[in-house]
Amino acid sequence: MAPTRMISEELLASYANGTISAPEALVVSTHLALRPAHDIWVRQLQAIGGELLDTAAPAAMSDQALTRTLSMLDACASEVEQQPPLNEMSELPEPLRRYALGPWRWVGPGIRVRDVHAPRDGDTRVILLKINPGCETPKHTHGGVELTCVLSGAYATETERFDVGDLEEADGDVLHQPRVISDEPCLCVVALDGQIKIDGWVGRLIQPFVRL
Amino acid sequence: MSADDPLCDTTRHEQLIVAVALHRDREAFARLFDHFAPRLKAWLMRSGASEIDAEDFAQETMMTVWRKADLFDPLKAKAATWIFTIARNKRLDKFRRDSRPLPVPEITFDMEEVPRPDDLLASSQDAHRVRMALAKLNPHQIELLQMAFFFGRPHSEIASQLDLPLGTVKSRIRNAMAKLRQMLEPERDVL
Repeated sequence: MAPTRMISEELLASYANGTISAPEALVVSTHLALRPAHDIWVRQLQAIGGELLDTAAPAAMSDQALTRTLSMLDACASEVEQQPPLNEMSELPEPLRRYALGPWRWVGPGIRVRDVHAPRDGDTRVILLKINPGCETPKHTHGGVELTCVLSGAYATETERFDVGDLEEADGDVLHQPRVISDEPCLCVVALDGQIKIDGWVGRLIQPFVRL
Repeated sequence: MSADDPLCDTTRHEQLIVAVALHRDREAFARLFDHFAPRLKAWLMRSGASEIDAEDFAQETMMTVWRKADLFDPLKAKAATWIFTIARNKRLDKFRRDSRPLPVPEITFDMEEVPRPDDLLASSQDAHRVRMALAKLNPHQIELLQMAFFFGRPHSEIASQLDLPLGTVKSRIRNAMAKLRQMLEPERDVL
């Protein structure tokens, strides 16, 4: 799966330096919980970032910056961070457990969707997608990027197969029709940018009613 | 870096964070601030932020260092790695287009985290390996690594800045990253 690996190198770098969008970061974070080898690399990227920071050419702070910061320390010392409660889906990897979930919605034969109330970035948001064995999602293209991580089951596109922990990045131009190839339903977490445009008769049928 | 022994220097920064954690030591914090705040500011400015935003960002990051100092574990990360990670988490949170106060997925090296087999790799010995690996890259590869990974500039912008075709820039970045990853790759039997 060489192309996926190359895409995820760039993706992992933007995850490690914090330039990725927050919804994509959640999908990558889920992927890392399922792929320890990549998680180690991300931690090494933090060490590389730390080394580059340590040896970077400084940009002088203004004269009062330190005094101002020192004067604010007491106020921020007592701040206690509270972890949000876990959601009810205990089968989810840890990064997804701390976000509230919307209700499951039917969006087509054998296909259900629920919102993950995680940070958005403009139009980009996170959903869980559950597709029954043998079902296909309607043929669709995207306004922007779609980033998917498989949580259980497996699916295949026209060219590739995706198993638990695998990450797929689909761009705006690709006509996409994943098909579930596992015996159990395929559960995925997806960061979606923009509205999905659905092709074919199912799409024309459900598009007016469904906002994916 | 200066002619100082870098290992000594690093240990000093780690001890300063521990002093902040144990004694709320303002002098120790001021010394950390003097070293890291101007570098965090430079990092964010080169990443595309205005000088004012970058300075605010550096101050906020250092305040988080103060607030989270008791979560710092020198066995899991060296000081610069830990502070870079705090800055990374803050950047991810600060520049999202969503005003709702929801937590973003953070990378942590916290001491309360469950110990895992790869923790050994995040130890100070690993920081040494990272430094040795970086020293083996050539100056062009370091420059690309800084622009693409550290400052997070788009590949297209790097291509026009270096007056090189986009494909060339992409493959050179990929090669530099692959070389680093190969040098830092843990023994296969560890995984």
